[in-house]
Amino acid sequence: MNSLIILLFILGGGALLSYFAFLSKHAFGQAVVWLVAIASPVYFFTQVAVGESFSFSLGGFELALGFNHYSWVFALLIMVLSPLSLIYSTGYMKSRLRLGTFYFSFIFSIFGMMGILMSRDLVSLFIFWEIMTWASYLLVIYRGKDVEHTGIKYMIFSAVGAYSMFMAIVILNREMHSFDIATVIQNFGNMNAADQWLTGILLLIGFAVKSAVMPLHVWAPGAYTNTPTSFTAVFSGGLSKMGVYGIGLVLLNLYSHSDFSQVGIYLAWLGAITAVMATFRAVFQNDAKKLLAYSSVAQLGYIVAGIGLGTELSVFAGIYLAILHGAFKGTLFMAVGAVERQAGTTDMTKISGLIKNMPWTFFAALVAIIALAGIPPVGGFVGKWMLYEAAINSEHMFLVILIFISSTAAFLYSFRFLFGLFLGQQEEETAHIKEAPAVMVVPMILLSLFLVLMGTFPGIIFKPIAAGMAELGFQGVPWHMSVLYNMWGDSVNLTYVSITFGTVFLLGLVYITLIARKGTKHKLSTKDIHTAGEIPKPEDNLNYSLDFYKPFERVLSPLLKHKLDVYYNEFGKGLEALFNFMRRIYTGNGQTYALYVVVFLVALILLSGRIFGI
Amino acid sequence: MVANPILYIALPLFTAFLVPLLAKLWKPLVRIVPGLVLAYLAIMSVVLMQQVSPEKPIIAMIAGWKAPWGINLVFTSFSGFIASLISILAFFIWLYSFGFKKVEFDDAQKYFILFMLLTAGSIGVVLTGDIFNMFVFIEITSLSAYALTAFYKGRDGAEAAFKFLLIGSFSSIMLLLGIAILYTYTGTLNMAHLALLMPQVPMHAKITSFLLFFVALGIEAEMFPLNGWAPDAYSQAPGPIAASFAGILAKAGIYALIRVSYTIFDLGDHGGFELLLVMGLITMVVSELVAMRQENLRRMLAYSSMGQMGLIMIAFGLGTKEGIYAGLFIMFNHAVIKSLLFLASAYLVYYTSRKKISDLDGFGKLLPLTSLLFGLGAFAIVGLPPFSGFWSKLSLLIATANSHMEFVLATVLAVSVIEIIYYFRVLGRLYFRKAHKEIKVRKPTWNSVVTMIVLALVIIAVGVHPDFITGLLHNAATDLADKADYIQKIIPDLFSQTLN
Repeated sequence: MNSLIILLFILGGGALLSYFAFLSKHAFGQAVVWLVAIASPVYFFTQVAVGESFSFSLGGFELALGFNHYSWVFALLIMVLSPLSLIYSTGYMKSRLRLGTFYFSFIFSIFGMMGILMSRDLVSLFIFWEIMTWASYLLVIYRGKDVEHTGIKYMIFSAVGAYSMFMAIVILNREMHSFDIATVIQNFGNMNAADQWLTGILLLIGFAVKSAVMPLHVWAPGAYTNTPTSFTAVFSGGLSKMGVYGIGLVLLNLYSHSDFSQVGIYLAWLGAITAVMATFRAVFQNDAKKLLAYSSVAQLGYIVAGIGLGTELSVFAGIYLAILHGAFKGTLFMAVGAVERQAGTTDMTKISGLIKNMPWTFFAALVAIIALAGIPPVGGFVGKWMLYEAAINSEHMFLVILIFISSTAAFLYSFRFLFGLFLGQQEEETAHIKEAPAVMVVPMILLSLFLVLMGTFPGIIFKPIAAGMAELGFQGVPWHMSVLYNMWGDSVNLTYVSITFGTVFLLGLVYITLIARKGTKHKLSTKDIHTAGEIPKPEDNLNYSLDFYKPFERVLSPLLKHKLDVYYNEFGKGLEALFNFMRRIYTGNGQTYALYVVVFLVALILLSGRIFGI
Repeated sequence: MVANPILYIALPLFTAFLVPLLAKLWKPLVRIVPGLVLAYLAIMSVVLMQQVSPEKPIIAMIAGWKAPWGINLVFTSFSGFIASLISILAFFIWLYSFGFKKVEFDDAQKYFILFMLLTAGSIGVVLTGDIFNMFVFIEITSLSAYALTAFYKGRDGAEAAFKFLLIGSFSSIMLLLGIAILYTYTGTLNMAHLALLMPQVPMHAKITSFLLFFVALGIEAEMFPLNGWAPDAYSQAPGPIAASFAGILAKAGIYALIRVSYTIFDLGDHGGFELLLVMGLITMVVSELVAMRQENLRRMLAYSSMGQMGLIMIAFGLGTKEGIYAGLFIMFNHAVIKSLLFLASAYLVYYTSRKKISDLDGFGKLLPLTSLLFGLGAFAIVGLPPFSGFWSKLSLLIATANSHMEFVLATVLAVSVIEIIYYFRVLGRLYFRKAHKEIKVRKPTWNSVVTMIVLALVIIAVGVHPDFITGLLHNAATDLADKADYIQKIIPDLFSQTLN
């Protein structure tokens, strides 16, 4: 049997099996989840390869599966991130209800993502896309929080995206008489301009919804926050990348060969604006998970900007950042989930100083934050370097400024996140908190080590990306295992950088543990303060995370006052008024209905000349 | 086994009149015999569907009179497909309602008599080759539907039935007038013969007659603005009857509308199809928008049903073979999925008098299987893969795109978003709200569980492997699209005379 089918079978069958296993006994269910989490990546990395294909006919459509080098890059990310999150889930979701539904949706959405990546025709792409969407919807509403608002919003935006994609697919089929993606790419330039414009834009809308590009991003912060955190890691880290994957396909494979190659620049602008706005919102969040949710939107903005710019280096940076973002945002969500589970909240104004309670979680979060902020020796530095260089080269200076602003502001929330949760004075209330169980810590640590590896030897991921770039029309992209080149002719050997940073880090660690330890011995508490005559009441929140960036917030508040959400809500209200009006057509009065019948017949007879053209 | 299209009508009609006599013998026979008959018809459908092909329709003459002088029943790939769908669905609805009104025997007797009449009439509409006969069958179907709407004694049921009766009588009058006009100009009532003679009919008479048919059958097919009766009838009738209104009654109505527009009249390409398309589009948009604001679950499903009928009209209004194929696919899905939704919802709102959506809070825990099946139906009807609704939506969109109708395409998709919203809102209540206190729950009986599971399995099976029915649908579409072939197969002599 074909290895692609077996992989899909492991995931799809695993999803169903886990549902029924949890119905019978908890331990069975747990065993199935572990089995899937181990079997799928092992099978994927040993048996599946680019170039294998499988085609079949279903319902009168010729469908084909098979990875190419481009989708392979994303498949690598999914197959590393999702199994780790699944294992993490077995710890995180312990003693929750409806685990069958949870794991079914979790594994089924992985099934959907892998399906999307291996689809070679638009019908199967759409099928897997929809499966991924509804499976993730079930997870967004899993906790039952805010179902009517966040859940429906996610579904509406996903449906709008999916259906615009659907429309593009059937129109493309009309022009090409084929759903095959390769055929579509080949013949796209031969279509008339209006159809090229329409189908491309519709496809872009579909993909942009998932990658949360403004103005289609409003679902994302809420949905990311409401999902159980172990899935948020995949949701923000992997699932959103499906949108990035698609945007790459449309912009570089379809539009770059047509008159609409400029569309990418506009998308890059949208991405950069998304990045700036979301970064500022992230800075002012009190909830660590919400902070990460906004940060995800911001980071996706960068990635889209990179791909939108459309130069060799920027696309390379975009894809690299996409993979990297999957890894570090996955780690961060896992860390927040560990805190959530152990401390019962993710509100940064309620907890602090968890570094002593949860050192491993802190370590993972630290590495991931370093990656996010783009400081060497972790991979984020490499990605940022390339993106800056590409942006500066592209001569869109204002775009460069936006990217600079948002990545600088990202330091603010990075610092706040790390400081708010892990550093500072430890409160008595949080003293009892213990480190998360090993099933949760080990996946985090593994992912963070992967991040360090990517910083030192970015080549391991450059290689597949460079191969994938060939599919997008950039042949022979140069790359090196651990050396970066820039347009000014300089080169940076990352091995030395890493060694330097690693040594400094180690020395610092030694200094703190051996020499400076005494300094930290003196116990301080936020309650232990001297006030200027005013004694704080016990209910006053004295946590320093409260109003962390207050002066800054005051400056920016006019800018942040306008939420796009409000406009959508107003639009929704307007529609509801229309629906109510429509509803009045059905008066419930039989005589009125009879009148409708007569009037309709008379109207038809009067208009018959028009209708039948006589 | 004896497989003859005549049995489709003769057996259920005969059973309906036999039921009171059987009751004198042994009361449970009232329940058992209709089931046996419907099972026989369902098996017969499978047998006949294997025999029939677009080249070889099965034609049954009544009393040996040849068409166009006698009345004939025509079991082609198209009409046979719909008839089989109706009879198999009728069997499952019988299975679901096997224990209906266990205590009140009189009510049960009425129920089964009327249900058999409804089935016989609907299959008659589909199979008959004679236009006046069709009128008679529509009357049989409608009369039993009126009675079933008023089944629960009370003000609401009576009011709904009265509205239905009022609008339904308009339908009968117009249908009769339309037939009369055609008969005046052609002197025949046989559909094939009418189709053959249609070019001779003067234009004004043809158009008037067509519009009368269009409005009369539009009432049966739940076309806007003629569908005022539907929400009341759907919400007042017993649960299984609401399912058969969606799966049986409405299917017969849309069949008649399509047969008249495609086969009998030759106005399709001169504006007839466009009219159907536009009315379908309006029906769909209005119904789905109204469904969005419903608070009563059954009414919501009713409006959604009307929306689907609009979708079917759009598909047939495209006038291409792809459109017919898509329309048939939606008909199939709508029959199966909407039945499942109505059957499951009957248990969800069993003890609440107002059948409100807000009464559904937390039923996911109280009735896990029924809620799950309802959820599956909701997923399928909005067209999410891997359920059967997806494939019909895909084929409709392909057909629409290939006809260069971007506006229709966009509207259908926009309305689908609305559909998703209101169905998922119900699911949100089922699964993510706490149950009201002291709520009474009716556990589904084993036979209704079996019925719902079978329907769900069909939805999944067709969703995963649509080729189970695509062959049948292709044959049916080929059959309907070739009008000359239909005439030739039924009245070969007259057809060749006209050619010469």
